[in-house]
Amino acid sequence: MKKILKARELSSFLFLVVLFLIVGILNPSFLTAGNIIACFNDSVVYIIVSVGMAFAIFIGEIDVSVGANLGFTATVVGCMLRDGQNWAVAFLTGILIGAAIGLFNGWGVAVMNVPSLIFTLGTNGVMRGMMYVYTGGAWVENLPAEFKQLYTMPLAGSITVSFTVTAVIVVVVHLLLKHTKRGRYFIAVGDNPAGATLVGIPAVRTKVVAYVVCGIFAAVSGIVFSSRVGFVTATSGNGYEMKAVAACVLGGISLSGGVGSVIGASIGAVIMASISRLLVFMELGSTYDNTITGVMLLAIVVVDALMQRRTAEMNRRQRLAARTGSADFGKGGNA
Amino acid sequence: MNRTFSQKIKCFVTSWEMVLLCLLVAECVIFGAANPKFLKPALLFNSMNDFMSICIISLFVTFVMITGGIDIQAGSIVGLTSIIIGVTWQDYGCNIWVSVLIAVAAAALCGALSGFFIAYCGVQAMVVTLGGQFLYAGVALLVSNLASTASYQGISGFPEDFRVLAKTKFFGIVPSQLVVFLILVVIAYILLHRTKYGRKIFLVGVNPEAASYSGINYKRVIMSTYVLSAISASIAGIVLTSYLGSAKSDLGSNFTLNIITAVVLGGTLSTGGKGNVIGTALASMVIGLLRFGLPLCFKIGTQYLDIPVGILLLAVVLGRAAAGHPRIVNLKARLKRSKPA
Amino acid sequence: MPEKALLNIKNIYKSFGMNAVLKGISLDLNEGEVLALIGGNGAGKSTLMKIIMGIYQHDSGEIYVKGEKVTSNKTSAALASGIYMVPQEPLLFPNMSVEENIEIGFNQKKSELHKELLELMRDVGWNLDLNRKASSLSIAEQQMVEILRGLLRRAQILILDEPTSALAFDEVESLFACVEDLKSKGIGIIYITHRLAEVFQIATDVAIMRDGRVPVRGKVSEFTREMLVKGLLPPDAQEKENSLKARMKGVDYEHLKPVFEIQNLSGYGFSDISLKVYPGEILGMAGVVGAGRTELATTVFGKDKVLSGRVLLDGKDITGLSTRQVIEAGLNYVPEDRHLHGLFKISDIAANTSSAMLEKKEMGRFFLNKKAECEMTQKYVDDFRIKVTGQDQLAGSLSGGNQQKVVIGRSLSTSPKLVILDEPTRGIDAAARGDVYSIIHELREQGVAVLLISSDMEEIIELSDRVMTVCQGRINGEFAGTDINQDTLMSASFGITKHSEVGA
Repeated sequence: MKKILKARELSSFLFLVVLFLIVGILNPSFLTAGNIIACFNDSVVYIIVSVGMAFAIFIGEIDVSVGANLGFTATVVGCMLRDGQNWAVAFLTGILIGAAIGLFNGWGVAVMNVPSLIFTLGTNGVMRGMMYVYTGGAWVENLPAEFKQLYTMPLAGSITVSFTVTAVIVVVVHLLLKHTKRGRYFIAVGDNPAGATLVGIPAVRTKVVAYVVCGIFAAVSGIVFSSRVGFVTATSGNGYEMKAVAACVLGGISLSGGVGSVIGASIGAVIMASISRLLVFMELGSTYDNTITGVMLLAIVVVDALMQRRTAEMNRRQRLAARTGSADFGKGGNA
Repeated sequence: MNRTFSQKIKCFVTSWEMVLLCLLVAECVIFGAANPKFLKPALLFNSMNDFMSICIISLFVTFVMITGGIDIQAGSIVGLTSIIIGVTWQDYGCNIWVSVLIAVAAAALCGALSGFFIAYCGVQAMVVTLGGQFLYAGVALLVSNLASTASYQGISGFPEDFRVLAKTKFFGIVPSQLVVFLILVVIAYILLHRTKYGRKIFLVGVNPEAASYSGINYKRVIMSTYVLSAISASIAGIVLTSYLGSAKSDLGSNFTLNIITAVVLGGTLSTGGKGNVIGTALASMVIGLLRFGLPLCFKIGTQYLDIPVGILLLAVVLGRAAAGHPRIVNLKARLKRSKPA
Repeated sequence: MPEKALLNIKNIYKSFGMNAVLKGISLDLNEGEVLALIGGNGAGKSTLMKIIMGIYQHDSGEIYVKGEKVTSNKTSAALASGIYMVPQEPLLFPNMSVEENIEIGFNQKKSELHKELLELMRDVGWNLDLNRKASSLSIAEQQMVEILRGLLRRAQILILDEPTSALAFDEVESLFACVEDLKSKGIGIIYITHRLAEVFQIATDVAIMRDGRVPVRGKVSEFTREMLVKGLLPPDAQEKENSLKARMKGVDYEHLKPVFEIQNLSGYGFSDISLKVYPGEILGMAGVVGAGRTELATTVFGKDKVLSGRVLLDGKDITGLSTRQVIEAGLNYVPEDRHLHGLFKISDIAANTSSAMLEKKEMGRFFLNKKAECEMTQKYVDDFRIKVTGQDQLAGSLSGGNQQKVVIGRSLSTSPKLVILDEPTRGIDAAARGDVYSIIHELREQGVAVLLISSDMEEIIELSDRVMTVCQGRINGEFAGTDINQDTLMSASFGITKHSEVGA
């Protein structure tokens, strides 16, 4: 039965494979190693931001400020690098900014109990404006060439270092979440808040930490973003929050919290990042991008919600039926 | 049970709407002092054209948020409406008013679809309208592909009787958009505060369970609010298209923060059950004037305007949360108790 | 005392706002004891347990665990000192596996824990697939998981909150075997239950909680069932009964047709229920919480699925209609949980009173007729003596009794032929209770049929013309006239049916 949990990621992965195959059937020129590896290489920014978002969703909340967080960090780090600042200092500054934004969100949501969507929407607006304040609306250009090469630096064949490092990080985070005491707290708090309190889990602190982690991941993705694109505009990172949520949902993470894994989020992110490339091979053009994302998102959440409601209803009825002594109802109903 | 006139006045003076009204006056005074041009009626009225769509949509998103939901898809419906009008008129040769009708019907359908998922399938409103935002913006883009003109150019050259819709100035100064808005304020006010339907919206927002024990079909009520907000978005889309004279698929894509801020600032509880149309109308005007006054009087770039709006939203929600926080409530109670002693 | 004391509770007081729930509780638990804690609803059992677990903080009094005074009121501290509570509705993490559920929150390595858990399960003799998802477990299995969690934490004090309320017969057997086993290992168990039979089956000690106090505690061997039943009743119960009975006047059953009839109705939580209610009659429905009465009422009211059987109102079949149609047909329901299902707390009293009338023309066709609403609200405010500052006062700021009167007023506003009152006086003060009683009497005078669901036996006796008792989802007794007294009703409610004739 542990497979069920795994199956959620597995089905996302199968979905990805089927997607590739369908496109391959329609246009055989797609199915080359180069194309498929490129799909993965291109998805690094999405993966990182989605893994962060996964933390917010695990605890049953959401963070729509990651897009602005990504953009702002990219702007600040980009400026520092352009001005010849030490790389380590620049990266650290970026990460601290991300953590600070996360901390603020976590405080508002977990401590002050503001609905997370509304609170992070406000943060998003403020940070987006701050990007303009920081640069005066100008593009951040002329980043060091070595920095720009960082993203595309190959490791073996056409596989890049950045993708490999990201993949390793995702696996490490996954293992930390599954196999450490505190790692499991995130899922537990989202799964059953009352139950979490009963076994002594500090719910508020766990939620704040989740937001900080989310903020840090968004910041890192901002740094990677500036390396990949090579310049930062005032609208950089726009819409990444929505794509990250969509990636998480596609990766089998339940928006009511407590279900899923960062591996799933990463697979979802690869799907999200690949859609525009796939569309090109299907000769549809990127105009279908949003439509397809929207349809997939809606289809998955609706099916998920209906299934969850069914299970809950079944459990309730089984519980009630047990009281009347008609014990045969619902027994063995766990197929 | 009727309250006396003086009681009513007293009630009004201490209300949140009064605070908003003061904010509006304060804005006028500050902006007017910084740059007297701000108060020139022609300029002031003209500026309203730029933010009337937000005001119009906020009115009906208030309905959604009173039921405890949220609507972040309204912005994308603005663009969808606009492009449907353009394409059906330009490329399919419909009469412009038929195009408008088709666009409103399509918007209503979008609202109904999202509303159905939220009310009948029990999916969180946030997720559904998020997906809706993608979907309807995507559909708008697809529709724009049907046009013979490139999508970034937009579709223009609308007949004069359609342009008149937003170009007319009543008494030579009051823009028709404002008139449309005021009419919608009256309609929304009556619908929400004077009809049985409006009462049901409130009851469903306060306690959906209790509403259903009272025999109210709460699912239908919830779904209908999304249809209404989609229709209001389509009206905003029509007016905006008429005003700009061109139909584009990405109109309204950055409205979400402003709309939600207007509704929340207007006194609607983010958890549902409380809110009112006048508050939202005033709050949306506060935001609109802010967006007009800051660039004009303090030379703040329009790109920066998300900062004050975002801060406004955060301040309002944090302030409300703090007022209701157990520790603060306890403190208040203790203060109250210690006073008479 | 020869046994070692695990838990001493001394003089605990706790109130929520103005409402005193615990009024000086003292209780102790020793090694190897199974202390059965019984008491009616609202006696304060679950509040006490939550205080022991550190979820609530007590106002005054002391708690000692293994002789040491508890100073910190945190759940983690209670867990660390070896207390574990298995809540009535298991609070597992539905999306985690059984093993993850049990092992969450431990510092040890996973492999060690796994070994320990396997040993533990062998010890107890339970076989559970550790890889199953918790949401796929039956309630009994969920409870087993909860207990295992407690044992793995080396809990010395285990609190079981009505563990058998959702279990089938064979599952109860295996639970009892486990409790016996734990008892022999020296673990102290507080066993909260509504079923008196269980007390004699597994408990070593018994304590009765009533009205925030523990008036009776002792070895089970010193008690008989009758003594326990008596202990559950308020001390002055006997005198009251007689004075009240005199007021009753009979219902003329021979010349009346029943206005409401349930025929062999089965649903989720109840089974094969048949009953009739006559116009101007108050039919009491006694039983303990979880007996299935509320489920019966809400199913009739269109909130849940009917599995089989029929419901007739005034000769019309209303089985399976929607809530709105049921109200339309002339039935209304005052819900058991006023806060969850009854009140619109941040709405004003007028809106609360008129909410069930919104579908009717009296309140206007499209526009809301505020004048009609105001008049109707005023009528109920006056008739029911609801204490308000004005119709625009928010319902949430009223006292419990006045809130309840508002909810009752709403259910009567649709002029129903039958009203189902579910625990109409729970949690309200004596004066308001009197008012509610006179409202019910008034209804009876007007010829409205009343189905009164209550766990308060006194209330049932005072008001009812006829009483049916429900136990574990089935009707197990019908009483009329002088048969209606605390003893018979209490016995039947707890499943002891020696004096009753079953039938409808």
